Formats: sequence, structure tokens, C-alpha cells
Amino acid sequence: MNTMEEKLWNYIDGTCTPVEQDAIARLIEQDEVYAKKYQELLALNQELAAIELDEPPMAFTYNVMEAIRAENAMQPLKTAIDKRIILGISIFFVFTILALLVFSFANINISDIHVSTADIKLPANVKLPSTNSLFNGPFLKWFLIFDVVLALFLTDAYLRRKKTAKQV
Amino acid sequence: MQSKLSDIELIKLSLKGNQSAYADLVRLHQRFVFTLAMRFTKSREDAEEVAQDCFVKAFRSLESFKQESKFSTWLYSIVYTTAMTSLRKKRLDTSSIDDEETYIQIENVSSGYDTDNIENKSRSFYLNQAIEQLTPDDATIITLFYKGEQSLEEIAQALGIEANSVKVKLFRARQRLKERLEHNLKNEVKELI
Repeated sequence: MNTMEEKLWNYIDGTCTPVEQDAIARLIEQDEVYAKKYQELLALNQELAAIELDEPPMAFTYNVMEAIRAENAMQPLKTAIDKRIILGISIFFVFTILALLVFSFANINISDIHVSTADIKLPANVKLPSTNSLFNGPFLKWFLIFDVVLALFLTDAYLRRKKTAKQV
Repeated sequence: MQSKLSDIELIKLSLKGNQSAYADLVRLHQRFVFTLAMRFTKSREDAEEVAQDCFVKAFRSLESFKQESKFSTWLYSIVYTTAMTSLRKKRLDTSSIDDEETYIQIENVSSGYDTDNIENKSRSFYLNQAIEQLTPDDATIITLFYKGEQSLEEIAQALGIEANSVKVKLFRARQRLKERLEHNLKNEVKELI
């Protein structure tokens, strides 16, 4: 059940039904205690409605906009670039390459080309280096060790980046 | 020069990259946001930090504002969550806010007023003083209702609670405010209200 104050606040705030409103209005008219309390709460209500808001510092708006600008500046380039621009550049290059290919193929007369593998011979004085020594002995061992170290280094860097991203 | 554009128009301009439109939006709401932040932090420096943080967060998520509610209601919900997070960071979580101990601390901070000087001070001073002594929840509800031009439903939306709970909380907050005023002003309260 609502107390007298609760009823009066509802009446002042206008949150009660029309029937309740009429009943409370009658009570205020007829009951002196209700009338006194009503005047008291109404005065407090008016005082509350008239309170002044606090004033922020003069440079508040400037500081907010500076913070926003600083945040935008710190944004990584990858997210700042519009994806449509990247798409446009990609489409331009794809079309250029396709156009060049089409133009090239259109200008080749295949019937004029005569290639025989038998005609290709290396000069007698040219000697190719021996590749056998590369796949045997210490060279291969050092190459594999270097690969393993590089793989470990890259894995470590990847895991560190992942951990930092999680913390943020 | 103060902008004559509505919140929605300013938001649309801001989303198109017009930063001065957002600055106008900040100017329109800064006093209220700052006051709300003050209700939580009880210090101008902290309130400035919280209010600034709110506007930066609002700018960041401006695209997610669906215009189903007033911009102010949406902004106040950001203020509420940001201020609560700030309070938690300072190890004054919501449960301890309602503690008697905290309440007494706040009371002691500003209880040294000279009663002979009461007549010289304005009514709003005493009212503001009493509001400052309330818990952040009580002070916020009173401020939102009287100064934020928010209905009970909109306050409920901003605070993430039921409208009926807001009504009950508002009633209790006003009761406690009256008690604070009576305590601060003793006999003079009869002249004030």
C-alpha cells in the first residue's frame, strides 16, 4: 500500500492513473495534513527542477576533440585505409594484365614458330657446376640448422604477438 | 557560435566525417554529462576524465546508435557504465557505495558548515550539497529525472533496469535527499521547503 508521500509524489510526477489523480486531488483539498505535505513536496520538486548543472572546464570540448584526433592518428594504417580503394587498385591491375595478355596472344602467329629441341646445344667450352657437393656434407647440415633456428624465431615472434593482442 | 541543428542532424554530419559537428554535439551535452560524472566521482578532475572518456566512447560507437531512443538517453547509458567502471577501478564498487561507512565518509567531508552563515547561502547551494552527500545511484536518478529531461522509461533504459524500479528508486532517493536537507539545515529546512 502506498504511503501518503508516495501518493503525493506520484501525483506531482503525473505517474498515477486519472482515477488516482482525482482521489489525491480531493484528499489535498479536504485533508489538512495532505495539503501541508503536498505544499512541502511541491516546493522541493520546484527547487530540484531549478538546480544548476555543473560547468565543465573551458577547454573541455577542445580536449575531447583532441583526444578523438589523437585516437584517430594512432589508428593503424591497415584499418584507416578504405577497402574500396584497395579493391579499385586491384581491379585496375587485373584488367591491365588481362588486356596485355589478350593483346599479346592476339598478335602471335603460332604457325610461324618452329622450335626444335634438337637445334639447342650448349657450347663445348661451357661447364656446368657440380651440384652433388651441395646436397652432401657440412653445407646441408648448416643450411638445415639455420632453417630450424629461423623457424623457432618466427614461431616465438608469432606467439608473442598473439599473447599481446589477447592482453589488449 | 552554438549550433541550431538537432542531435540527429549533428550525428549524421559527424558520421560523414564532420568533426566540428561532433564538437557541437559535445557542447550541447557536456554540462549534463559532466554533472552526472560529478555525481559519481565527487571530484572535478575525475569527473572531467570520466566525461571526456564518455564522449570519446560515444564518438567511437556513433555508428551503432540506432536512433530508436533519444541520443541523450544513449549517451547517459554510456556515462553510467563508464562512471561505474571508473568507480570499480578505484575499488569503490556498487555494493560498497551503499555501505554505511562510505556514506559517513561523504557526510564528514562536508559537515563542517557554519550554521550562522546559513541565511547567506543560496537555496541551490544546500540542495546541491545534499545531493552530493547522497549515494551515486540516488544522485544520478535525481539528476536524470530533473535535469536530464528523461522520462522514467528512458532512465530505466539508460540504467538498464525496469521502469518500476526507477520509480521506487526515485521515491527513496527523494526521501533520503529530504532527510539530508533536514539534517544539514536543521530548523532552517522549514523555511527552505
